[in-house]
Amino acid sequence: MTTAASPSRVEIDYTGSERLTMNMGPQHPSAHGVFRAILTLEGEQVVGVDAVIGYLHRCHEKLAETLTYAQYPSIASKTDYVAAMTSEFAYVRAAEMIGKIEVPKRAQYLRVIAAELQRVASHLLWLGTWCLDMGGALGGGATIFLYCIRERELVLDLFESLVGARLLYGFYQVGGVRYDLPPGWPEKCRETVDLIDRRIDEYQRMLEENPFFLVRTQGVGVISRELAQEVGISGPLVRGSGVNFDLRRTDPYSSYEDFDFRVPVETGGDCYARYRVRMVEFRESLQIVRQALDRLPEGPVSSRPGLKSVAQVRIPKGEAYARVEGARGEVGCYLIADGSAKPYRMKWRGASFSNLAVLPHIIPGHKVADVVAIMGSVDPVFGEVDR
Amino acid sequence: MAEWVYPLIAPFIVLNAILGIVTYVTLLERKFAARMQSRIGPYRVGPHGLLQPIADAIKLMMKEDVVPTAADRPVYILAPVVFLIPCMLIFATIPFAPGLGVADLNIGILFFLAVSAMEIVGLFMAGWGSNNKYALLSAMRAVNQVISYDLPFIFAALVPVLLAGSLRLSDIAAAQAGLWFVFYPVIGQLAFVAFIVSTVAAENRAPFDILEAESELVAGFRVEYSGMKFAIIQLGEYAHVIGASFLGALLFLGAWAGPGPEWMGPIWFLLKAMFVFLVVTWVRWSFVRIRVDQILALSWKALLPATLVLLVGTAVVVVWRTPGV
Amino acid sequence: MSDVQTAADVRALRDAAPRAPTDVRVIIRAILGAMRITLRNLFRKPVTVHYPDKERAYPDRYRGLLALVYEKDTGEEACIGCRLCEYVCPPAVIKVEMLKSEKRNYAKTFTLELYACEFCELCVQVCPTDAIVMMKSFDLSTTDRRELLLDKDKLHAIGTQFEQSWATGNKLRDMQGPPKMARAEHGGSTEAAKGGETAGA
Repeated sequence: MTTAASPSRVEIDYTGSERLTMNMGPQHPSAHGVFRAILTLEGEQVVGVDAVIGYLHRCHEKLAETLTYAQYPSIASKTDYVAAMTSEFAYVRAAEMIGKIEVPKRAQYLRVIAAELQRVASHLLWLGTWCLDMGGALGGGATIFLYCIRERELVLDLFESLVGARLLYGFYQVGGVRYDLPPGWPEKCRETVDLIDRRIDEYQRMLEENPFFLVRTQGVGVISRELAQEVGISGPLVRGSGVNFDLRRTDPYSSYEDFDFRVPVETGGDCYARYRVRMVEFRESLQIVRQALDRLPEGPVSSRPGLKSVAQVRIPKGEAYARVEGARGEVGCYLIADGSAKPYRMKWRGASFSNLAVLPHIIPGHKVADVVAIMGSVDPVFGEVDR
Repeated sequence: MAEWVYPLIAPFIVLNAILGIVTYVTLLERKFAARMQSRIGPYRVGPHGLLQPIADAIKLMMKEDVVPTAADRPVYILAPVVFLIPCMLIFATIPFAPGLGVADLNIGILFFLAVSAMEIVGLFMAGWGSNNKYALLSAMRAVNQVISYDLPFIFAALVPVLLAGSLRLSDIAAAQAGLWFVFYPVIGQLAFVAFIVSTVAAENRAPFDILEAESELVAGFRVEYSGMKFAIIQLGEYAHVIGASFLGALLFLGAWAGPGPEWMGPIWFLLKAMFVFLVVTWVRWSFVRIRVDQILALSWKALLPATLVLLVGTAVVVVWRTPGV
Repeated sequence: MSDVQTAADVRALRDAAPRAPTDVRVIIRAILGAMRITLRNLFRKPVTVHYPDKERAYPDRYRGLLALVYEKDTGEEACIGCRLCEYVCPPAVIKVEMLKSEKRNYAKTFTLELYACEFCELCVQVCPTDAIVMMKSFDLSTTDRRELLLDKDKLHAIGTQFEQSWATGNKLRDMQGPPKMARAEHGGSTEAAKGGETAGA
């Protein structure tokens, strides 16, 4: 399909029905970021989708070549800015894999706590913006959005007392983490986790039996199991289509094997199945946080001394690909180190970038109003897509 | 007082009162919705946001009035007015107290229902005159939706008419002196629920507001309007909601019946209308919206047959309970 | 269209998807349930903080504005102009010139472009004398970006104006890293590849 179509061109195909090319432009009412989808419509139905990305490209991979291993983790948050902790995780893990750097047990547990709390915060934002897309800025969607943001603020408050920042952290460093728990943090964390657990009950009650919600999400955006395995999507999208694949189970890292949690898998493949997967992931993440807090070992938070100079961390020659289970799927970082303080090459595997590849397969055949529901359930973050 | 004074003054007072109520009802809705979302609504403009509607009105008046070059000018410019007039006219037949109304027609409710359906003309003129494909499509859908839900609206509104035995609105209000129609066993409650649902849908309020926000990813039939014309369309929509709330309070909640002296009657009426309005708002802020085809399916397949059956059932009950017919 | 996902697969999945309940009782119960939750929230206290009339309590480690401080005992400027912060800053917003003196060095000029700063706290972390710190406030809004190009005087002024946050260079470095005893055993090595241990990360 041509990507240079102007919005006013009209094609009439051999069946006589008129085809309309409509631009779902980089500026959206549905707040997912800068994404341009050129939809080809036949009446009310979408028959083709062309995705245009790149509006948020900020040269992260080149930037990584100019910044040292000590400087880049703070910048790595900016790829998936909604789930910043998991982005930093991949980079730092890659460096540690090449340098064979051991991470102390306490640091591993802290990393897990941060990653899981971040997953909760990211899913809260997902739920809020998805309902906002489906319900409108004035209406029931906005109500659920504000409830989710209210709970997300609690998680961000926790991070603020741990790290000092609310959105982009710089918590991870090569060899461990940068901050230890301040006094009183575990109790506050437990309280917050319990409160969020109760509030998620409320959201489920508001949505799950609601016929309006069900009728918008069931049977919409179906990804079959074969498609899920072929196209390279990951995260809640594959788990909603019956593929039991979670990196925390299949390729455990950072002591995930110590924790007892369920990996939710649904076979429906539609938006409702993905919704259910993420709702269960909420609770499992909260369980992991509770277990980690209970069993948190004492010890240093980093195996390397504190940062004294910018070129302190040197990684010997080698290459590695480290992947973590982010909130959106597999976030991977491929690093080639050459013995100096800066990497030779770094490549991000963005979860949302690969997830977007499924759109031309599942959107055609639906109505325009379903496009927003599908986009919301795919949950892209364009920092990860465009890097 | 001369004969001609009252018919001049009363509409003037009523129109201004409606404008005032409509402006402040927007503030009421915003604060109510905000409290449901764990936040405070407008707070800074005036004490507790009481001057916010005035600020909004001044802002809208000062905005640039953009007319698309290819728009059909007469149709485009007249559309908001044609939309507003029926929405204001429906207040003509509502009696605010026994004997206190602009025109207490003996076909009062018929007038109300007929005139309130005429706003469709203004709506469609807005969509057509904008010369915008998406505005037109959305206006067509809006007309479709309003017409589909006007029928259940009429049938639900006819249940109190049958129970009271008259089309005159003050008679219906007077007939509720003993028992408000909403408390009438089974029939009253069902009719009230059907009335609320049809009101919500006939005015394009959520969850049936596929046209108000992001319809086809643009803003519906009002997309090309700005400034005062937009304000007039908003005014018309809210006036319609308030009018339907007043009608609901009159038909089901006993209008001015309430404890206290007689001059409290209009105040009770206002409070009951606000209650109906708040129920409509509560519904609006609780649900995501459904697609157009699902909205229409709900009306034709579910609501219309149900209200029809309800109406026939009411007729049966009325005949059965009236002695010697 | 898709070769992998056949139309038959999709149709099968769509038909197998659970349908919305059509039982009226279920629908009504669900609708009333949702409305009850919004009603419950109506009576909860709003979470709004009336900023700027009231401010919320910022945590100890809050990363706010940057500032230069004076030494506690002597009252002299703590900054020795070593430029470590300039080298570590990822967006390179700090520029320092050193002024050599007999007992110790100073910073002749110290510019920090606050409008480009990322607030990542790396400069605080590397500072050997705890000279540059972050404050528990971010309140420096202005309509002119040039006012955010902070020079040494402005940075010292910010240091006295707001409350300082907990993190300083030495505290952060003590928090990280193995305890001092273990470091002495390893001889303070900063190289990678300790022994033959595989990465446990």
